[in-house]
This record gives sequence, structure tokens and C-alpha cells, in this order.
Amino acid sequence: MKISVMADILEANDRIAAANKEVFGKHRNLVINLMSSPGAGKTTLLERTGEAVRGKLRLGVIAGDIETTRDSERLERYQLPVVQLTTGTACHLDANMIASALPHLDLSRIDILVIENVGNLVCPAEFRVGEDFKVMILSVTEGDEKPLKYPLMFRESALLLINKVDLLEHTNFNLEEARANAQRVNPALEMMDVSCTTGRGIEAWISWLNQRYQRKFGNLKRA
Amino acid sequence: MSIAQSILDIAIAAAGKEGALRITRVNVVAGQLRGIVPLQFTFYFGLLAENTIAGGAYLNLEITPIRGRCRQCEETFTVEEYRYICPKCRGEDIQTVGGTELRLKDIEVE
Repeated sequence: MKISVMADILEANDRIAAANKEVFGKHRNLVINLMSSPGAGKTTLLERTGEAVRGKLRLGVIAGDIETTRDSERLERYQLPVVQLTTGTACHLDANMIASALPHLDLSRIDILVIENVGNLVCPAEFRVGEDFKVMILSVTEGDEKPLKYPLMFRESALLLINKVDLLEHTNFNLEEARANAQRVNPALEMMDVSCTTGRGIEAWISWLNQRYQRKFGNLKRA
Repeated sequence: MSIAQSILDIAIAAAGKEGALRITRVNVVAGQLRGIVPLQFTFYFGLLAENTIAGGAYLNLEITPIRGRCRQCEETFTVEEYRYICPKCRGEDIQTVGGTELRLKDIEVE
């Protein structure tokens, strides 16, 4: 016997994501879902971001990791409110995990909430968590063909940060090729070259965040 | 892997509602943009289904192509090799209208 189901497999997740989004909107939080491979520089980017925005805008972080709490320990040094989620076997964060983290954050004291996803170029792109934008990092030590191998993440992202550009000369990474591949998958994708080591591009990234915040909510809560 | 688990959960719930004893086949539609690797996916599914009423069920994956709609001339077309360019007017403002779906279509039970 055949039973027709026609169920959207991600529907349950998307419903919770929509509820999260409503909570974030109420607290005037701009929410970024930050994704990359392991070791591309997500935590280091957040360290640099925390330094750069101190006293100007209030950053909060939900960090997902499979096992350890190292990321949150690194970020707490910058006096950022951080909630660490250890996902166990799951290779991504989903909307329900984010919902479970919210009671541990004072959202009314946060302007920009970055959700640092688990390092992985596949599954994190599948699950909405209630974000305004997906932002991804591709580091030059990875390879310029990545957009074609993992199209969904590049397709879903609003901004691509190409990190570790200070190491370009030591790699066979072709920046033009990477940009062209990314644009092919997502013509609307914005791109920036950054180096979390030298600080190159960090200012541009911060002003991108500022612009997005202002476009959504007008001025910052705390001038 | 959690997608395989979701499919299994939905399938078992649907079979339970009909009072079925065994699931023999599960038909899933997945868009190409989902980047699902069939071999890996069916392996995970088989692993998770062990010791459930879906143990040994055949997972049929239908991969649907990426479809785009040109915002300029409204032409709808299949996007090949991620070339988001309209074949009719060469426009580059393309809306994705297919290829992201992920659906459990139906199941076959005994």
C-alpha cells in the first residue's frame, strides 16, 4: 500500500526559526549566521570584531561546537556575552538549539548577535535558525573551487569573507577564480577580502554590519 | 544525517497513523541545490532505520534540477552547472524557483 505524505522535511525547523526571528526582532537584534569550514577563521573573526566594535555596538555570540567550549573561552576574554552550545554528534546548529540558548542571553543588551555555526560547508546551510543574513568565510588555504563543490552555502549567503589573504602568496589559491566561481553560484553575493591576522578588511566588515543594522532598525539602540 | 533522521521520523509517524507494520519503500524528492550525496544518504538512512519498522526499506531519492526564473523576461529554465544566466535574454537577475525542495513524497507499507 502506498501512503502519500508530501511532508516538507525542514518544515518543523523553519517554524521554530520563524519564532526565533520574531524574538530577535522584538529586541532589535541583527542576527548573523556565520558559517565556514573548520579552521577558516570564524572565532578569530569574532575576536577581531569584538575588539573593533567595543564601545560602539554591542556584540553577542552563540557558538556551536561539537565537543569543546574552547571557542567561548576565547571570546569571553573580549567581555562578549557568549553562549556555547555543544552539539554532540550534530554537524550544524538548528533552530531548536538556538531557541534553547536564548534564555541564557540578555537580548535587550545586544545589537548584533552572531551565531557561530559548526565548522562545515554542507549542513549548516540547510537549517535556518532565525537569522537576518547568512555570512560565510572561505579561507585561501582551502581552495578556489569550493563554491562549485558546496553551492548551497554560497547560494544562501549574503556576504562572503575571503580570509587569510595575507597568506595568498604561499598558496595556489586564485582569488579571481574564487570570486568568479562564487559569483556564478550566487550573482548577488557580496564579497570582501579580509585578513584576521593583519586586520585588513575588518573595517569594511564592521561597516557592512553597521549598514545592515541601520537599514533594518534605524539608529543603534545606544548612540 | 539529521535530514535522514527527520525523514525516518516522518515516515514512521505516517505509517503508524495507517496502522502499517512495515515500511518497504520511502520516496524522497531532493533539489540539486541541497547537495545530497545519494550513496552516503542512503547509507545513513539504512543505518538509522535498523531496528525500526523501516528496517531494510528502500530509500528512493529523486534529485530535481535547479530551475531559475528570469526577472526581466520571465523565462523559466533549468540552471546547468550553476550558470544563472537567462538563455533567452541573457539576463542575470535570476530567481531560484526549483532545486531547493526537500520533501518526503510517499511511502510504501505492508
